[in-house]
Amino acid sequence: MSRHFPAILFLLPLFAAISMPVVCLRHRHWSRPISLAVLSSMVVLSILNLNSIITHGEVRYAFSGWSAPLGIEWVADGLASMILVTLSFLGLLALVFAGPTSPKDLGGRIVHYYTLILLLISALTGIVFAGDLFNLFVFLEVAAIASYALIGVAGGRALFAAFRYLVLGTLGASLYLLGVSYFYAASGTLNMADMAEKLPHLLNSKAVVGGLLFMFIGLGIKMALVPFHAWLPDAYTYAPESISPILASLVTKVALVGWVRIIFWVLGAKVIVNDIPVLLLVGILGTLAAVIGAVLALNQRDIKAMFAYGGISHIGIILIGVSQGNQTGFVGGVFYLLNDAVMQAALFFLAGMAICQYGARTVEDVGRIGKQAPWFTGVLIIVAMGMIGLPPTGGFFGKWYIILGALEANNYIAVAAVLLSTLLTLAYFVRLFEAIFRQTPLPSDRLPSDIPFAYKLSLGATSAAVIMLGVFSDPIVQLLLNHALPPGL
Amino acid sequence: MVDALSAVFQRPNFLAFVIIFLWGFYIMVTRYNLVKKLVGMYLVQTSVIFFLVSISAKKGATAPILLSTTDPVHAINYVNPLPHVLTLTAIVVGVATLGVGLALCSAIYRRYGSLDEEEILKRLE
Repeated sequence: MSRHFPAILFLLPLFAAISMPVVCLRHRHWSRPISLAVLSSMVVLSILNLNSIITHGEVRYAFSGWSAPLGIEWVADGLASMILVTLSFLGLLALVFAGPTSPKDLGGRIVHYYTLILLLISALTGIVFAGDLFNLFVFLEVAAIASYALIGVAGGRALFAAFRYLVLGTLGASLYLLGVSYFYAASGTLNMADMAEKLPHLLNSKAVVGGLLFMFIGLGIKMALVPFHAWLPDAYTYAPESISPILASLVTKVALVGWVRIIFWVLGAKVIVNDIPVLLLVGILGTLAAVIGAVLALNQRDIKAMFAYGGISHIGIILIGVSQGNQTGFVGGVFYLLNDAVMQAALFFLAGMAICQYGARTVEDVGRIGKQAPWFTGVLIIVAMGMIGLPPTGGFFGKWYIILGALEANNYIAVAAVLLSTLLTLAYFVRLFEAIFRQTPLPSDRLPSDIPFAYKLSLGATSAAVIMLGVFSDPIVQLLLNHALPPGL
Repeated sequence: MVDALSAVFQRPNFLAFVIIFLWGFYIMVTRYNLVKKLVGMYLVQTSVIFFLVSISAKKGATAPILLSTTDPVHAINYVNPLPHVLTLTAIVVGVATLGVGLALCSAIYRRYGSLDEEEILKRLE
């Protein structure tokens, strides 16, 4: 049974998504309980799956019995299983959060919303598990199509942002597919493990060099790496409040996981193409992203835009950690990725609550509501500690291991970039807190005081997770060291 | 130089791919009309699909269906079917993306009464 967990984890949300429009045609109110049930069982299954991976080692699942180089393969190793636990946990919380927000901001399109969310989650599961470069492309596109539709589902300003995302995202996907076809033309295989064996002899081939370049540009657009990030801020700022948490916390990070898979599992960690070490290139791009994203975040008035740029800078920090070429840095980067997914979800929950509950969109508005909303301010303090990287939270330990890895590799520029990005993060949160604690609320600003239970649950769970990841950072890092390291690192 | 040129012209399929890809990219970047942008995007997708099919082409080969059950199978007589299958999936993905894009276009038109990017940006201000 436990052998089939990876397939079940993917098929469960997929079938739920396909049957949702039929089942809920007459009974619209069924869609929410069904989706919650699917996501809860995914959480349970993903934890069981992680447990069985830890005890029995990685599972290579061949669909319908066609084994690896010919058939489609699912690779459920430690990395994929850890990411999947985070993914299903955050997906469940995002659905919980969407309960009270969605009637307001989706304009009655409830069934569409739940269908697309389930489709998105199954596609993200596919990206995490894919053991085949072409499958990765298909799931990237399914996830992307679901996100375009989700951003545009409520209409309004989001439509134009969704259109821009669609045009750029499709360009990225086409470039990725072009890269895959170059790789296929050079090596004659699409399976990652098979290609990893054939590529070392082909590294001087122009097809491999060109394919690598196209793939990286394509995935760079998907994960909003700095020169290609233009689509992200608008799309996440104007997306409906019940949708931006799941997009911000999962979509870009899972694309990054795809990239990590290709670099470390297909190319190999120490690969040098045309005298350029690939990891060095990734590290430089990450350094740029970490600093530029944080500088741009500092300039935003809209809190959602501010958090979106914060997410862009954190993608850079993860890449810095992953690219150090040693175990400490890699584990730090992956651990920071898990943390960042949780923190981004929490930040966008907060932004969604501020908008739906209090009608506050800008930094000044948030200052106006701050003192009267203890839940909002309390959770904001915890998550800000995580984003800045203060000790009891997971963000601190993630950055700690990344810096240790960079010191081990004698890469002082990377250390400086992480520290600079931390200072800039501190600066934009100080701006927010200054607005909250400086202003005295006017007597006319009476706020609705009863917060829906769903908000309390999702905010409480994410802020607890931010702290728990810090408290239990040691066992989690050990787990990553033992089970999630790529071969040859 | 002559070598490089003759290498290019011996592979007209690659040349066609490059031209279609850049053409589509040019339309995507320069046109303000949203539907024209989608046309450019679709050209880019199609060019990649064309490239995938063309690398599997083989002179004097046929579809991978066994011609007779008694003769031994020679791979040289058959075209590699895998790129065609990938192409089929890529076409489906492309059509789905185009569908979502056109739906967004029509929603934008209903809201702003225009498909011109500059005009929409002016209204967004």
